[in-house]
Amino acid sequence: MKTLKCIFFHAVLCFVTISCVKNVDFDQAEGIVLTPTIESSLLFFDEPAPSFINENGSEVAFVTDSVVVEVFNGGFVRDNLKKSILQFEAINTIDRAYEAKVDFLNDADELQYTLLFNIPTAVNNQEILVEQEEIFEGDNLEAIKATNKLALTLTIFSSTDGSSLDEDSLGALRFRSKGTFFFNIDTSE
Amino acid sequence: MKKMCLLFIVVSCVCSSQNKQLLYGFSEVPQALLINPGAQIENDWYVGVPLLSHLHANVGLSGLSAYDVFAKDGRDFNSKLRDVVYSMDDKDVFAINQQLEILSGGFAFGSDYEKNEYLSFGLYEELDVFSYFPKDYAVLAYEGNFNNIDRTFDLSDLNVSGELISVLHVGYNKKVSNKLTIGARGKIYSSLVNVNSTKNSGTFVTKPGTENFYKHIFNLGLELRTSGLSSLTNDENSDFSNDVSTLKKRVLFGGNLGLGFDIGFTYRLKENLTIDGSIQDIGFIRHKKDIENHKLDGYYEFDGINPLFPESSQGQTAQEYWDEVAEQYENLFDVEKTNDKYTTWRPVKLNAAINYAFGKNSSKDECNCKANTERYDNAVGIQLFAVNRPKQPQLALTAFYYRRLIDQLRLKAAYTLDSYSSTNLGLGISVHLGNVNFYVMADNLLKFQNLAKAQSLSLQLGFNYIFKTNENE
Repeated sequence: MKTLKCIFFHAVLCFVTISCVKNVDFDQAEGIVLTPTIESSLLFFDEPAPSFINENGSEVAFVTDSVVVEVFNGGFVRDNLKKSILQFEAINTIDRAYEAKVDFLNDADELQYTLLFNIPTAVNNQEILVEQEEIFEGDNLEAIKATNKLALTLTIFSSTDGSSLDEDSLGALRFRSKGTFFFNIDTSE
Repeated sequence: MKKMCLLFIVVSCVCSSQNKQLLYGFSEVPQALLINPGAQIENDWYVGVPLLSHLHANVGLSGLSAYDVFAKDGRDFNSKLRDVVYSMDDKDVFAINQQLEILSGGFAFGSDYEKNEYLSFGLYEELDVFSYFPKDYAVLAYEGNFNNIDRTFDLSDLNVSGELISVLHVGYNKKVSNKLTIGARGKIYSSLVNVNSTKNSGTFVTKPGTENFYKHIFNLGLELRTSGLSSLTNDENSDFSNDVSTLKKRVLFGGNLGLGFDIGFTYRLKENLTIDGSIQDIGFIRHKKDIENHKLDGYYEFDGINPLFPESSQGQTAQEYWDEVAEQYENLFDVEKTNDKYTTWRPVKLNAAINYAFGKNSSKDECNCKANTERYDNAVGIQLFAVNRPKQPQLALTAFYYRRLIDQLRLKAAYTLDSYSSTNLGLGISVHLGNVNFYVMADNLLKFQNLAKAQSLSLQLGFNYIFKTNENE
């Protein structure tokens, strides 16, 4: 039995030694790098002019709300996000100018970054298209990575002629946004 | 995970898939009966040397070799890896199959002096890992959805299974006439560990949107089923040797049990022309104990969020809108854990061959009293192998030459064409010294100079004590 075991293992050994693995370096696997780029829709709305009046029928000065987003300050994003581009687009046919403001806040509600987007008035309800692109790399990217809350404020500027929006006001404000997130995932890190 | 990956590739380099083209039809080696229970038998009784009677290891990768990725050629590793990933598709496979016979034996019996019946039995362990290349997941990992707008990522590309089982079996073989031998083998499977994710469905697609730039559509139907695993991973200790001893206890009826059978035949068309065939592992395993399944099921369309003007027009308050969005999103990625019992089917294997023998053995020329013991020194033939896999069967075609050099030394050389390679040459040797039989078989010999270039390799070896009364007459 012992002799058999001996022959058995020598046979296996023999196979291993007459064969070989040449010119390969398995350590290379240490540094697998993946660079996916994710695109995602972000905030949007599409509202007709009467949406900007309150229950009493008078024009509102601003609309605001905040969203808790736990994506940006998660470990995966913090470690691997290298660059981000946020793109905003507004199509305005309302006879009012607007300012969209996005405040990036951390979990202690401290302001990390503010992004402003001006939307000019649509004179005679003639369509106005505005686009804006914000690139985050380096410092402002770090600001994003500390963010867990977005506060969005849409300010409506009063008309210069003193008129006020009402139920019959024409036009609409359409707002769209997306983010492009560039990742670099290096397994050796 | 990375280490597992590496181990996987390395293991694949030293050993090929479930095809045992060299052992099939090699009637001097008793283990040939495990592939075809209706094979011709050349001994009166045998016992396999415990734990050493049959070792089989086989790994295959279609679409790449380790050399393609790990070559020391100065090229950037990641660009090589990327080239390989992009050259493969969702039909490419990774497969590992390993068997170790623990005990085996067999003996001839029968009413007349010819002893035309044969009973064989044994216990062996088998490891089977099989995975398709998850192409769409790889593309998503490499590129993300950027530049892939309108591309539908197919989540069913994830198709992977692995199991460790023990098989207790008894086979019956009968030489019905000089022309026909038939056989069958009953099997009791005991599954030590089973992991499978083979019924995935669903898609992920990003389309140009109407309300916002994009509409992201998640349609998820993913499921991972395991048995015999949670008791190993959830126990207090992390000592691997404890896991091994737990697994050992499951070998004899201790795991999840199943039943199956093999059938086969050999038919002599002419004195020197035979056809034979077998079907192995028609059987199932019922997983009832130690189950832990994970399920991800859901459909969600995401346009972005509208915090300023939530869709309150539909009678919802802002708060309700938020609750709904948050809940839908959470539910989508909420992994449901269940303990539902399930059944797996063994991969069914088919072997068929035609065999033409020539060059009569001179010592037997004078006595032709027993047609069935007619002996030839040479044989050539063609074999077909097929194994059932989740997406489509894997096929292999083998041409072989068999030669009895002397009674103590018999060889079989084979050329095999399969999904892994078209240059697969293999050699099997069976040595008989007294009652001791040693056999060793390996394929893809052309790649032995540099195993890293091989896409599949297989190795079988073992020792038996074989007794033949006829020989000593």
